[in-house]
Amino acid sequence: MPTKKPSIAVIYFPGNNCEEESLKAVLASGMDGQIVRWNQRKGVEKYDGYVIPGGWGYEDRIRAGVIMAKDPIFDIIKKEAEKGKLVLGICNGAQALVECGMIPGLKNKVEMALAPNKNPLISGYYCTWVNIRSEQEKNRCVFTKFTEKDEVIPVPIAHGEGRYTTKDSELISKLVKNNQIVFRYSTKEGKVEDSFPTNPNGAMHNIAAICNKKGNVMAMMPHPERASFVRQLPDTTELKNKSAGRINEFESAAPAKAIFDSMKKYVEEEIL
Amino acid sequence: MGGVDVELIGIKEMSDSQLSDFLKNNSISLSIFEARKVVELIGRNPTLTELYIFNIQWSEHSSYKSSRSVLKALLPTNAPNVILGPVEDSGIVELGYVNGERYGIVVSHESHNHPSQVVPYEGAATGVGGIIRDVLCMGAKVIAIADPLRFGNPNGKNKNKVKYIANEVINGIAGYGDAVGIPNICGDVYFNSSFDENCLVNVVCLGVVKEKDIIHSYAPQNAEGYDIIIVGKATDNSGFGGAAFASLILDEKDRESNRGAVQVPDPFLKNVIIRASYAVFEEARKQNITLGFKDMGAGGIMCSTSELCSDANFGADIDLSKVNVSMSNLPPYIIANSETQERFTWICPPEFTKTLLKIYNQDFELPNISLGAGAFMIGKVTAQQDYILKHEGKVVCNVPTKVVTQGIKYEREKKAPKRKFEEPNLKEPKDYNNALLSVLRHPNVASKAKAFRHYDTSVMGNAVIESGYADAGVIRAVDNSPLGIALKSDCNPRYCRIDPYWGAVNAVAESMRNVAAVGAIPSALTDCLNYGNPEKPEAFYDFYEGVRGIADAAKNLCYKGTKYPVPVISGNVSFYNESASGNAVDPSPIVACIGVLRDYSKAITMKVKKENSALFMIGDRKDELGGSVYYDVNEEMGAIVPIIDFDKERNNIYAIIDAITAGLLLSCHDISDGGLTATISEMLLGGNADGAVGAEINLDFTDLRADKALFSETPGFVFEVEDKNLEKLNTMFKFYKIPLIKLGKTKGKSLIITKSGKKIIEVPIEKLKEAWTTGFVEALE
Repeated sequence: MPTKKPSIAVIYFPGNNCEEESLKAVLASGMDGQIVRWNQRKGVEKYDGYVIPGGWGYEDRIRAGVIMAKDPIFDIIKKEAEKGKLVLGICNGAQALVECGMIPGLKNKVEMALAPNKNPLISGYYCTWVNIRSEQEKNRCVFTKFTEKDEVIPVPIAHGEGRYTTKDSELISKLVKNNQIVFRYSTKEGKVEDSFPTNPNGAMHNIAAICNKKGNVMAMMPHPERASFVRQLPDTTELKNKSAGRINEFESAAPAKAIFDSMKKYVEEEIL
Repeated sequence: MGGVDVELIGIKEMSDSQLSDFLKNNSISLSIFEARKVVELIGRNPTLTELYIFNIQWSEHSSYKSSRSVLKALLPTNAPNVILGPVEDSGIVELGYVNGERYGIVVSHESHNHPSQVVPYEGAATGVGGIIRDVLCMGAKVIAIADPLRFGNPNGKNKNKVKYIANEVINGIAGYGDAVGIPNICGDVYFNSSFDENCLVNVVCLGVVKEKDIIHSYAPQNAEGYDIIIVGKATDNSGFGGAAFASLILDEKDRESNRGAVQVPDPFLKNVIIRASYAVFEEARKQNITLGFKDMGAGGIMCSTSELCSDANFGADIDLSKVNVSMSNLPPYIIANSETQERFTWICPPEFTKTLLKIYNQDFELPNISLGAGAFMIGKVTAQQDYILKHEGKVVCNVPTKVVTQGIKYEREKKAPKRKFEEPNLKEPKDYNNALLSVLRHPNVASKAKAFRHYDTSVMGNAVIESGYADAGVIRAVDNSPLGIALKSDCNPRYCRIDPYWGAVNAVAESMRNVAAVGAIPSALTDCLNYGNPEKPEAFYDFYEGVRGIADAAKNLCYKGTKYPVPVISGNVSFYNESASGNAVDPSPIVACIGVLRDYSKAITMKVKKENSALFMIGDRKDELGGSVYYDVNEEMGAIVPIIDFDKERNNIYAIIDAITAGLLLSCHDISDGGLTATISEMLLGGNADGAVGAEINLDFTDLRADKALFSETPGFVFEVEDKNLEKLNTMFKFYKIPLIKLGKTKGKSLIITKSGKKIIEVPIEKLKEAWTTGFVEALE
């Protein structure tokens, strides 16, 4: 075992707002971490991995994530990712990873978009609990080392532009073939249905998260950092209800924490 | 009196009619009496800047000139758990101890009614922005917001405008709160025609702070020579006169000119300022530096700086030319009084100034975030208690600080208005299924998911019970501690229309019940008192009765385990909620209750958890349906509203808290809008409207006619218990002398209600869901 703990930079771009809970999830998985401001570029290459958190970086001017993707700190992150370091983009962070071409990362340019939600109930920003199903065999990517294929994980979404879409008619089948689709929206029972509310935003192929070909970068629209502890789950989950009244169980891991645990394992095995 | 270098306004020399014209032409809302009072107080004619200062300081919004004496005489603000009463920007109530240190919950509650009626998106958004500043400036971490909303009749003659305003207000709250990243944990929405021309947009905000880390809204001791620093957006002319505007009756024909008094929100900049301010807190604590910090709200720089200095018996010497402005040639009275959003004032010892400026201007690069934004030193705290404003080298204001801040007070006349309400003679419904479904579909009962799903309810990762899943929202308060906070706001406007006193009592009692229904102890109250024109004796009577009702309820529904009241620690008064045609809103003393949970893992939601568990009720049904949803569905008002028996109500609340704390209940929901059947239906559906278990209920516990028993809104609770816990529960409720009423059990896939052996209701859950999830959506479409 390495003596040094994995160390993660959670990058705060002006307007992001999930940096704190993202850091808490990182720390709870036994990693070290810090919130690093967009303008604190010096030394940022020393971290073992990066979380780009949710929010409204640069006010989502022009389009969600576009300006973040052009911030100079992103050049450093890109370079480090090419060396194999992990990058997790959550929500607004996922939008930035798509906008900078790191996801899906097949042509080194923007290949997809996270378009405005299609939702019959609410147009624009929508926040609710959904279920996502793991699509990959364990170990396929950096983020699913503790997640079984077909496992269902409850997570909240909170976005207005989260609909994975592309004009490239062959892209989705390429992503399937490359095994780059990490999570898809499903029912509680793990059934992938294209209709609302199972697919909460109209995403193509029910995509909730995609990784790059190498598997060290993931763009995920739902928020695993808000679903990492039993306390955070809603009363629609059995796990929350059966833990009622026991604070230690309330503070123990919920299924989505596996993503952060997996990051730790990856850094320990491959980076340190 | 101090000298000035600019022209004086010759008020002394003007006749009353000249003065009246002058005030009107300059959009000054001071009365002739008040304008002459300014001359008397400062001992000479004022400058234009000074006159505008008094215009704002003596507005109803800033001075509480009509309400102050009533609030002071009636409201209980003291209890052993109060850390800070309603004297600064927010009140603070004890949360509890973590590692030996006392923590407080910082609470603020305000209205942004007038702006939201005129420019609903911006009005609602800046309401959220302002309330966050009030909590942040106490040195607190901002942890939650909530929004009580009142809109007009979505099916009435103004329906298009009502729907437009409702949607835009919801979008504005979402647009601001979602972007800054503060979870919206609860709210309530009522529709009725009294709000057609005056919507009510209240906002509540919570923060958490260690008692020893509180930063006050006044200059520290020995602050002579301290720097006055403003931080935030560059000052423009937006919101100039906003406080005075909030104290006017809205006239549709002034709509365009009123728009200028509404501020422009910038949640993006605020997001960064909040984080930079946290960094300042941290650094100041590290260096043991005491600072003063205050929000810039009504009255802008003037109000903020004068109060910071006045409350600590200092003066101020400020150079308005040093203020960062985004428009050229702004006159000094606009720079001083504009209500440009996203700004604060610091009182800072000179040795810390460099650090503070660096955090805002370099570390967080405010000047690059928004054009002209940043932190700027604009003046000094002085020992001499004069409030001096300079502009381009000239003194434009020189008035004793205490005179600027002392305000003005009126004793308003009150007179009971004639109220004529009668109980209707309703025929018993032939089809109870339809009666139930129409109550569930009523927009005041139906699920508000379309609103709260537009809000970020889980950001910050501390939510334990999100909006809509229970009677109150619950959040974890401090890392690594089981302490939790519950919050809910309430006030049924129709009760208040019938009876302003009992309406207010019900608002307090219901907010406490809601907090108790998740297992939290009601620990403090806030109130936002929304009424018509206080110069009308009838409107002032309603206001007085509302305050009296809140006070009586707070004193009698004591803080659990004591004889102390549940203290009122924060609040706001909003008068003039009436249109030019004289239509005032229903009296609306909107109350929010802050509850504390010693262990948030014990908090329960309203959703039924199991099949074959028992359903019980406390609070017998009474024939008091005045103002009820059932009457509204039948186009009736009624006359008899629920009357609260304080002793019984208190015991009910305590018993529920004890039962939940002991882990004896699986789910719990209070009985309110829509009555018993609505309560049970909501329990079956759950906040996510995905429930799958039905219930069989027997109505033979009461002699009331079935519709009255099913739809009366007499307070009470319904809860779910497993058989194994019944004995313990019985003992517990006996202690409080509360009869447990058995309703039936959870079973099947439908709600079935029988009376005298006959099924009167049988509705499949899917149908309950259809009604409950469409009513509010339809109201907004």
